[in-house]
Amino acid sequence: MADPQPGEPAHIDEPAHIELRAVSKRFGTTQAVDRADISIRRGCIHALVGENGAGKSTVGKIIVGVHTADSGSMIVNGRPCRFRSPRQAFTSGITAIAQELALVPDRSVADNVFLGVESTRCGFVARNDTVQRFEALVERTGIPIDPAARVGSLSVADQQRVEILRAAARRSEFVIMDEPSARLSAQERDQLHRLVRSLRDQKITVLFISHFLDEVLELADDITVMRDGRVVRSTKPSSETTGSLVEAMIGRKLEGNFPPKPPPPEPSQSPVLRVRDLIPAGSAGHPASAATPLMAGLDLDVLPGEIVGIAGLVGSGRTEFVRCVYGADRPVAGSVQVAGGRAGRFRPRESISAGLGLIPESRKDQGLLMERSLRENVGLPHLRRVTRAGLVTRRSERELVSASAARAGVRGGGLETPVRLLSGGNQQKSLFARWTAPGLRVLIADEPTRGVDVGSKRSIYDLIAAAATDGLAVLLVSSELEELVGLCHRVLVMRDGRFVAEFIHPDLDETQILRHAFGEEAAVGQNS
Amino acid sequence: MTDAAAPPRPSGANRYVGLFARYGIVWVTVALFVLLAITTDGFLTGPNLRNVLDQQATLLIAASVATLTMIAGGFDVSISAVAVAAPLVALRVENATGSVALALLAGCAFGLVVGTANGSIVAFARINSFITTLATSFIVFGIGYVVSERSIMRPSSDSFRDIARTRFAELTTATWISLAVVLMAWITLAATRFGRHVYATGGNVEAARLAGVRTRQVVVAVFALSGLAAGLAGVVAASRTISATPSDDFSFVFGVIAAIVVGGTSIAGGTGAVWRTLLGAFFIAFMVNGFNLHQIDPIWQRIIQGLVILVAVATDAWSRARRA
Repeated sequence: MADPQPGEPAHIDEPAHIELRAVSKRFGTTQAVDRADISIRRGCIHALVGENGAGKSTVGKIIVGVHTADSGSMIVNGRPCRFRSPRQAFTSGITAIAQELALVPDRSVADNVFLGVESTRCGFVARNDTVQRFEALVERTGIPIDPAARVGSLSVADQQRVEILRAAARRSEFVIMDEPSARLSAQERDQLHRLVRSLRDQKITVLFISHFLDEVLELADDITVMRDGRVVRSTKPSSETTGSLVEAMIGRKLEGNFPPKPPPPEPSQSPVLRVRDLIPAGSAGHPASAATPLMAGLDLDVLPGEIVGIAGLVGSGRTEFVRCVYGADRPVAGSVQVAGGRAGRFRPRESISAGLGLIPESRKDQGLLMERSLRENVGLPHLRRVTRAGLVTRRSERELVSASAARAGVRGGGLETPVRLLSGGNQQKSLFARWTAPGLRVLIADEPTRGVDVGSKRSIYDLIAAAATDGLAVLLVSSELEELVGLCHRVLVMRDGRFVAEFIHPDLDETQILRHAFGEEAAVGQNS
Repeated sequence: MTDAAAPPRPSGANRYVGLFARYGIVWVTVALFVLLAITTDGFLTGPNLRNVLDQQATLLIAASVATLTMIAGGFDVSISAVAVAAPLVALRVENATGSVALALLAGCAFGLVVGTANGSIVAFARINSFITTLATSFIVFGIGYVVSERSIMRPSSDSFRDIARTRFAELTTATWISLAVVLMAWITLAATRFGRHVYATGGNVEAARLAGVRTRQVVVAVFALSGLAAGLAGVVAASRTISATPSDDFSFVFGVIAAIVVGGTSIAGGTGAVWRTLLGAFFIAFMVNGFNLHQIDPIWQRIIQGLVILVAVATDAWSRARRA
């Protein structure tokens, strides 16, 4: 270790507070964490950075016992340790503040802070004692907040403070914060940073998982970069720049296995998809964000045969945008026009008849009827075509579906197999089968290769390329940059609900895309 | 085992267990029928079986349609209230006009209106369907008391009893009506686009919506149909007894739900069938008939019926957990 540098905390020689040794964790076919060695010094702010899906959150969850590591060991205060539940970690002074906060919204701040460690007298909650404890806590942490306020009525930033107070109330020595600043405004972020530093001043170790590289460089004492579940390097902020971190996060990946790109579309054609001034509402999963329409009006034209990628971090508004194009959520304003037809805001049903097809982000929650057969799942939007005299003719339906399923290469069962019995890759392909029916003009695929094995990935890439070759306009949302670079004619980068950059084949570059996604145009300007 | 993409195939004994669980209601109903036919005098006779059919008519009318509601993910407990109040409305109309046809129409229309209201509240106000229909039940029971002025009502002419008691080919019209309703519900669910949308809505409402299903209309429609069927069932029952009384007795819907779940339709929605409800109803009916022919104490009958329903629901939950 180098000499202490200016700005370093004084207690640099203390032993590691928590050390992970060769920790691995697998989910199905995905190696989420692969032999990770991470040493976290006591009383430091240790940042964990990486792309979406690099394994950062999983590391945090292994430390607090939400997940159990498949192999490897964890040393806490010099002793091997393994927690089977967050509660057990809690009693050892380790607290996690998750991306989705875990508070009881209908109870007061004080109730939440002392939940499980209430002051009691003869079995009843001792109110006076609670008030005193709360005041002491506020003094110690410097977090002023009304103990009587109902948690559900607080802002996200204040709820986060309640979580931090809760950790402090239990005398936690180790706090894991998973993307704490993702949902905060700039001002709230500054307050959060001050708070994190004050935790360090109280000799509390902080594991800070974040997407925001500026923040990490400014705040952290140590940085660990992860990629594909592995630790790339552990380093000091003073020896890194945002550029060097981005490079480490992307690395030189294995050459992707992609089909040849379909020929780029003739630019003189008129676009088949025309989006104008679209202001998406919040996504269905985050009704709270509906109240803050931070997105500007978005415009997009897609030509027939063109594959347009949308890059951006989780929460950048990618999914919200494509859902609103399809009409899965109703946009606040704007219009969508397909193949010169009527321009407007559509519902899914109208979008389908206009020629739009959506493969949603979660095939299980939004795409498939898991208990129903492949036939019913693929045929669902096309039943009108196979209805005669009010009745669905089973034979025409089977013909339609088996042709589609064959084209999409769905294997692993017959037409009557419930889709829940299919592998993830085949489930995804059955959604492609749903949208291979004639009449489709625009295919929107949101993370089509998530949770899919390598072989099926290639088939899905082939399906996307084939759709474009057939003259469909394809809109592809993906967190995997190599996918976007390998498949798309054009990639748009989204950040904070806006398109911030556009790259056109052959000038697609993962590093450049990621820099824009993270908001590092300045660095890009200097380098290029 | 060689193809990574192949689904796990249930092997050996497991497969038979799966098949048994899937078509269990068929085997047990057939087994019970054969058992009673062999052991019990008077079971396998025309009059007895016709009698069972006639007694099951009102339950089948309500249950076959309520199966659609359950598959769409809804739970309609207002069936009891509608079946009590609809004949009172029908008889009020009959007393005023003397027309049996108008009376029948009024009873059905009343059920349709209540059902549509239920469905609209569930679909648009997004209130849990059990709670919604529980609340509307009280309202409908109340309407029943108002319409009947708290007293027993009788038709002004004898022809009212013809709705249920006319005989064709040795079967009562009640039986014929119930068979027609079962058939219509069956075809609607199994062979129409609407039926598919019912399955899709109950299976995964978001996926259905994104595939172009108008899920809210589906919800309104299944509750409306369930109300209509409950109204018809109530009028048929009143025609059989030639009277109707206001009461706040919830028990009719319990029989309806029992038939549906014993048949194997999932209370979680998304899976099930009308033929299952038909078998579920007959399984319970044969059981009760067998008890009666053997003169088993009705108190014990109830206890055994309760256990049978528990076993049916437990089988459903168990086979679901095995898949997960």
